Amino acid sequence: MKRSSFLRVWTCLAAGLAVGVAIAATAPAANAADPGITDTEIKIGLFGPLSGPLVGYGLDPLNASKMMYEEVNKAGGINGRKIKLVIEDDKCTPNDLVAVVKKLVTVDNVFALHGGSCTAAVAAAQDYVNREKVPYLMLNAAGDNAVFPPTKYVFGSFHGTQRVYGGALANFAVDALKAKKAAIIVHDDDYGNANLKTTKAILESKGVQVVAVERIPPNINDLTAPMLRIRAANPDVILSGAYPAPTVLIAQKYGEYGMTKIPLLIATQGIPSPPAFAKNVGDNNALVNVYHTWSFTDIANEDVHKKYFSLYKSYFPDRTPTPFMVSGLPSALTMIQALKDAGRNLTRESLVAALEKINLKTDIMAGPLAFGPDRRDALRSVFVLKFDGKTEKVMPGTFSWDGKTGL
Amino acid sequence: MYGRLQTREIAALVAILAFGCLLPYAAPEYFVYLGNSLMMYAILALGLDLLLGWSGQFAFAHIAFFGVGIYGTAILQQRYGLPFLVSMPISAAAAGMLGWLIAWPSTRLRSVYLALATYAFAECAQWVFRTWDSVTKGSDGLRISPTAIFGYVINSDQRAFPVVAILLCLVVLSLQYLTKSKLGRHLCAIRDSEHVAAASGIDVRQVKITAFTLSAVYAGIAGGVYVLFQSFVNPDVLGASQLVLVLTMVVVGGSGSLIGVTLGVVVVGLLPEVLRLAPSTLLVWQEFVYGLILVLVVMFMPRGLWGVMNKWFAPKPAMALNASTKTDGDTVDAQEVGR
Amino acid sequence: MLFLLPQAIASGIVTGCVYALIALAIVIVFKSTDVVNFAGGELVMIGAYIGLLCIVYFGARYDVMVVVVLAAMILIGCLFQRITLEKITGRRFSASVDLVPLVVATIGFSYMLKGIVRIFPYTEEVRRLPPLVSGAPIFIGPVILQWQDVAILVATMLVMGLLTYFFQFSESGKALRATSQNPRAAALSGIPVARMRMLAWALASAISGLAGILLAPKLLMTPDMGGVVMLAFAAAIVGGFTSLPGAVVGGIVIGIVQNVIGVLMTPQAISVTPFFIIMVVLVLRPQGLFGDIIALKKV
Repeated sequence: MKRSSFLRVWTCLAAGLAVGVAIAATAPAANAADPGITDTEIKIGLFGPLSGPLVGYGLDPLNASKMMYEEVNKAGGINGRKIKLVIEDDKCTPNDLVAVVKKLVTVDNVFALHGGSCTAAVAAAQDYVNREKVPYLMLNAAGDNAVFPPTKYVFGSFHGTQRVYGGALANFAVDALKAKKAAIIVHDDDYGNANLKTTKAILESKGVQVVAVERIPPNINDLTAPMLRIRAANPDVILSGAYPAPTVLIAQKYGEYGMTKIPLLIATQGIPSPPAFAKNVGDNNALVNVYHTWSFTDIANEDVHKKYFSLYKSYFPDRTPTPFMVSGLPSALTMIQALKDAGRNLTRESLVAALEKINLKTDIMAGPLAFGPDRRDALRSVFVLKFDGKTEKVMPGTFSWDGKTGL
Repeated sequence: MYGRLQTREIAALVAILAFGCLLPYAAPEYFVYLGNSLMMYAILALGLDLLLGWSGQFAFAHIAFFGVGIYGTAILQQRYGLPFLVSMPISAAAAGMLGWLIAWPSTRLRSVYLALATYAFAECAQWVFRTWDSVTKGSDGLRISPTAIFGYVINSDQRAFPVVAILLCLVVLSLQYLTKSKLGRHLCAIRDSEHVAAASGIDVRQVKITAFTLSAVYAGIAGGVYVLFQSFVNPDVLGASQLVLVLTMVVVGGSGSLIGVTLGVVVVGLLPEVLRLAPSTLLVWQEFVYGLILVLVVMFMPRGLWGVMNKWFAPKPAMALNASTKTDGDTVDAQEVGR
Repeated sequence: MLFLLPQAIASGIVTGCVYALIALAIVIVFKSTDVVNFAGGELVMIGAYIGLLCIVYFGARYDVMVVVVLAAMILIGCLFQRITLEKITGRRFSASVDLVPLVVATIGFSYMLKGIVRIFPYTEEVRRLPPLVSGAPIFIGPVILQWQDVAILVATMLVMGLLTYFFQFSESGKALRATSQNPRAAALSGIPVARMRMLAWALASAISGLAGILLAPKLLMTPDMGGVVMLAFAAAIVGGFTSLPGAVVGGIVIGIVQNVIGVLMTPQAISVTPFFIIMVVLVLRPQGLFGDIIALKKV
């Protein structure tokens, strides 16, 4: 190579570099006060997985949120302002969700963010949201890693974290079933970690011996190995935090290996739709001793079910919602209440302050939705239901996590 | 060194730098973020193309080296307090070392066997990232704290952008030199025919291993870039779909050409963002359309978009034979890539 | 935990047979057209969903459903080979086959198949086909098997036997092998190469469809179930990638090893086992258990 070309390249590069550093050093950090809000309008960015493999967690819940906002607009808005939604698809992947959040904040200039159905994706946007100081409510992600430790601007877990499901099931196993030896089966991912930590801590604090902990990959095809190990450990209760497909396989093996004398307790995410679950298991004899958590009152209360599902039908006549639709309601209800509480003189900071003080009792949720100065997870108590394949029986009372054990 | 850098090649570098310095002030953070992502993917894809387009090795391990770059840089920075300018090169070198180790057994393998062995390695690496809780924080994901270079704190996309642009420039520059070097020539020769290359006195295995190692180093650098502008990493982003994305960029743009691959990165990388503008009822078609594009590209554009553009802009060849048929690529033009 | 092994191995054999069926489809395609079919899993998935469509939405009988699925799969396979792959391989008829475009084409095809299923609402939910045969479980000593498991075992052995016969003894089978070994020479000796390749894809797709019907009651259906193809690749690699009995043995080995590791070590390692096996086999014995010695086929 000739020397002249070499020199030319490096001179150009060095010049470019110098200019870059010079400009960067004098970067302005100006930020106008609270965009997305006018005298008549509040702009909210609403997003969830509307395509891709996890669309089932996002489509109906997002529609449910949308419908609650439209109901509010119909009733005249909040403190004289109507809500305007900007809707985006985050596919539930960290990359897409971060891109969506940045677009909503810097291009659409929304006032607040509301969305996200998957914990890992939400956690990826957390730093950005806090840096930009935008109030952010999750749509229906369990959100363990995004609310523990709590950060100022990220609120979520409106139908409970994994810690709540695990904690509720552990408390149920001890208080109602008088279990002495427990087996736990969870996935080897963030959901599983959170569930396992709390479940194990609560069980052990109450003197229950954890005889087997099986961590299975989410894409497992053959549940023989973990179920055999659990059977061999001879527990008197099994707690599962698995996803829908593995949960069906677990229930099948559980029936096949004649383990139905041992109660099987399943966290909400394993049974997003109880009738579909029973159909997939294919044998109701396997379901004589199955319990699951549920954060909503709609299964116990026919009127509540009718109220929200017929409302959905009136807004989206072409779509029959899945039972998991209701998981989009609490976040919208909380956002609406907080916007009301923050008053006419609304800023991002006053919304955050209002959210911190909120303690909302709704007809749809098992417990109150509450935040606090150091609390960003909304729901801490859920129902436990006994499901025999046909009917659901609500166990008396609600079961909760104290917010401390196994954090 | 065969031939020197041409003015337009230098112009490309200067353009990247100018773009890198000016865009952050002209655009909202969203676009700057997209720019950062695209530049990271460009480094990743150019590195993959070194194997795919230059030495004809169909290897899938790239994403694992990317992961080593990300976790290495982030962990060295956060846990051992090393500055970015130290931790990133160390991680890139570690990725290269790992690549070298993998290259030893796998360069004996050909075609599908190489592809599957390296794919299996990538899956194993992802499993390690997910399972090695004490180091990588496992599937909970690792939070990446802001990076600083000589006191220049990188805590936003705007601030990361010039640094990423400089890194991309260095990568492109090194590749430009590389393609003109003896090694570049050897790689082309091996891609076209291993036998002929071996007969001409090229140590085929050694050259393949070198290419594999270099490619891993580029993936490691891309991992360092990820650390610059992202604040969170989860092993899920190091899966097969990410790999297919990078592969798509290379194939759609035009394997074996720096400009082609860059074009592919821009087109494929922006596609999902452009699709956001489509009405929401069409969202469900995305995956199908993505697949269709891939199939159509390999059917009708064997040299990718860049090949098609070259055909349009190139002076019409005198031979009438080519004009009647859409197929091309029967002869591999070893020089095309270096032009 | 040793006393759990009989059941683990028995279940492993059955699950392994499912992998083996998919691996057979992959091996047939590779043997006869040099294409590594990354859409192999999605063909299984689409077969299962066509079956579901027949049974749930049209209320078809099981035997009718099987016929419809096989016919549809043959059509899909032939069309893909004829329209897409023929165009790519046709470009360079005699020169060495360029692996990258072919693999990318099958990856694109897999996205298209997945995308087609996703277009329909509610397909993201987990589904299940009714089993082919059902009844009280069978007890063999400490081992419990379902009738569907037996059906899977029988179907796999049957398919492998028929295929081996086809490739070894039938005219078309021999022609198919000739096509794969040297397409130009095959064409010169009067073998319709393009039609032979379509035949290979038709066979492979039909087997994938069958695998889908057998597997859907056992492993459940989602549009992402095609990921199981990696286990089939592992099976094929263990068996040598060109050997039909090898693919079956490989599948069973993978199934058993997964369960044994799951039982004796930790279920956490189940997902990484097949990939580990691929690496070990390729490094230590690239030709697998039954494969031909890998050599440069065509220069």
